[in-house]
Amino acid sequence: MGRIVSSITDGKGFDLLLVGLTMVFLLALAGVPLVYNVVMSFQQVDMFNLSTFSRPFAGFSNYVEVVSQPEFWLIIRNTAIFVFGSIGGQFVFGFALALFFMLKFPFASTIRGLFLVSWVMPGLVVGALWGWILAGDFGVLNAILKGIGLIDNTMFWKSDPSLAIWAVTIANIWLGLAFNMMLLSVGLAGISQDLYEAAELDGANGFQRFSTITLPMMRSTIGAVLALGLIYTLQQFDLFPAITEGGPANSSNVAQYWAWQWSFQLFDFAKGATVSVMMLVFVLFASLVYVWSTRHEVRG
Amino acid sequence: MKASRLGLMTGVALATVAMAGAAFAQEDVTITVWSIDGANQVGPSDTFSAEFNEMDNGINVEYRILQFDEIVNETLRAYATGNAPDIVSLDNPDFALFSSRGAFLDITEMAENSDVINTEAYFDGPLNSVMWDGKLYGVPKYTDTIGVFYNKDAFAEAGIENPPQTWAEFEEYARMLAEANEGMYGATISARGNEEGTFQFLPVIQMSGGGYENVNTEGAREWLSMVKGMIDDGVMSQDVLSLGQWDSTGTFNSGNAAMAISGPWEIDRMVEDAEFDWGVTLLPVFGEGDERSSALGGFNLGILSTTEHPEEAFEVLEYFVSQDDRLFPEFGYLPTRGDVELPPSGIAEKDAALEVFQEQLQYAQPRGPHPEWQKISKAIYDAEQAALTGQMTPEEALSQAQATIDTIIN
Repeated sequence: MGRIVSSITDGKGFDLLLVGLTMVFLLALAGVPLVYNVVMSFQQVDMFNLSTFSRPFAGFSNYVEVVSQPEFWLIIRNTAIFVFGSIGGQFVFGFALALFFMLKFPFASTIRGLFLVSWVMPGLVVGALWGWILAGDFGVLNAILKGIGLIDNTMFWKSDPSLAIWAVTIANIWLGLAFNMMLLSVGLAGISQDLYEAAELDGANGFQRFSTITLPMMRSTIGAVLALGLIYTLQQFDLFPAITEGGPANSSNVAQYWAWQWSFQLFDFAKGATVSVMMLVFVLFASLVYVWSTRHEVRG
Repeated sequence: MKASRLGLMTGVALATVAMAGAAFAQEDVTITVWSIDGANQVGPSDTFSAEFNEMDNGINVEYRILQFDEIVNETLRAYATGNAPDIVSLDNPDFALFSSRGAFLDITEMAENSDVINTEAYFDGPLNSVMWDGKLYGVPKYTDTIGVFYNKDAFAEAGIENPPQTWAEFEEYARMLAEANEGMYGATISARGNEEGTFQFLPVIQMSGGGYENVNTEGAREWLSMVKGMIDDGVMSQDVLSLGQWDSTGTFNSGNAAMAISGPWEIDRMVEDAEFDWGVTLLPVFGEGDERSSALGGFNLGILSTTEHPEEAFEVLEYFVSQDDRLFPEFGYLPTRGDVELPPSGIAEKDAALEVFQEQLQYAQPRGPHPEWQKISKAIYDAEQAALTGQMTPEEALSQAQATIDTIIN
């Protein structure tokens, strides 16, 4: 008896208790909704049977119908542009800013802190702001671009099918920039200055120091930033209703907004679940790649 | 330790009983009303709810403002989880989603015995939208339709005497009126990718011999090519694809568009904002003497079937209906009944506009009713947007919409 108690307070039992608690939380708060979502994608769901579990089984018909929608491939393409455009933009600009703020100049850390404002603001507010900036006839961005002579004709960021997805991507890059910069700054701060000094003595130039010290030392940070970026970008929803509503003609529609449209505009909850299950499979695949690519990392 | 915990629990239990007792003694029934009135501007449902709440009749009204985009969604979720309001006000094409599944209370008998609600007085279009299977599931709140607002000063300057009567004239005048250098577009509409797009595009389909079950008409194709040409030539802003009707007409009010397709809900704001003479004319037709059509808009009121106080909720409904004569003078909305007199407001432009919209209402055709209206509507506005952005030809866009609609209807 005494041994069991002492094992719970200090020993294997305690470890098991901690792991068990975490698992219960994970199962209840993530596992059940996930499974429920998967189950829903194989059923026929309408508002009548929304609150019950026993619904007619639909097999793969939801999947077949979703894939055979005329806008399906357009939405896949847009999702790819949005995800890779956002992650790429956030990472490149975030890294550049992080490097810039590593230079010691007055108020560097204060100004870096101010950048967090964009990360703190709710997506809908950011969306409304960018909605005004990107407006066609009376938008700020158009006024600036015309003022400095870059364009002559009005750019309809929100209504031109070839621009709309980029409009949302630009807003999302701005939104996620500060988060990327912060994580990368932390990674940069962790690299010992001795390495740079030693490299400098050996005659390495700035580019060589960056590619042979900074990048390899940042590998795990970069992996984490990109993986988190993928998740946050696939979660990004608020900007879409606020800026383009997925339009015109689905030219800026992405999977996450499409799932919402199925469920809450067309009231076909099963198809909404189907789209989100497809996204889930993609994210699982991406996380497998991430885990595999960082398998040599030493973990504390 | 144990004793004190027991004492605490007893205390909590007693307090609960006391609170329940207090509520019981008051005997007031609370009726919750959800509507979008009050979201953009003061409207009937918020005003009447507040008035009814003030009355000392044992019924309290709790009013909640919802946004146009979320009211169906919120109601659906609330209904599924058993937290539905007692009364909700929905856009007329959304009504069938609920009434066809019995989510609205059948008030046929209550209305027959009512001194206030007389179903025979209602116009056919609005009344149809609250009926399902021959039963009455609500009352039409107000109705509206669309026509063409035009800037009389701009027309005079361009030497155009009369407002356009056909779509050909609409295009011709718009091209004459557009002044790119002065930031003046020839016309503005709303071709937004939501119900508003369908609201303005469906009448075009209808007046060319089609309907929501048959969208690929020659007239509709022609109209799409015409509007696309106007957008391409800068006669219309490309932003008509993303602007809602309220924002689109805003550009007319500020003098940035010479014509605007919109409805009577704009009148009050226009009287205040527009610094020019304006008028309204009927929605154009394809050829002179052709069949007319227009959109039938407006909201309905229904009692959710989950209500615990159907009689009190019906009383609230009756009060709303009894105030119908205030709809136009106070809020600029058109009543859904023929037995409500509309007194002249004394504002010449407003009264002239009212006359046109009342005539236009005779040609207004409902959307649906169909329980899956939202999907049909999406097929229609998707086709409009695909054609206007040039992603598809009008023929491709409309035949794709037709195929989608066929699978929904059959």
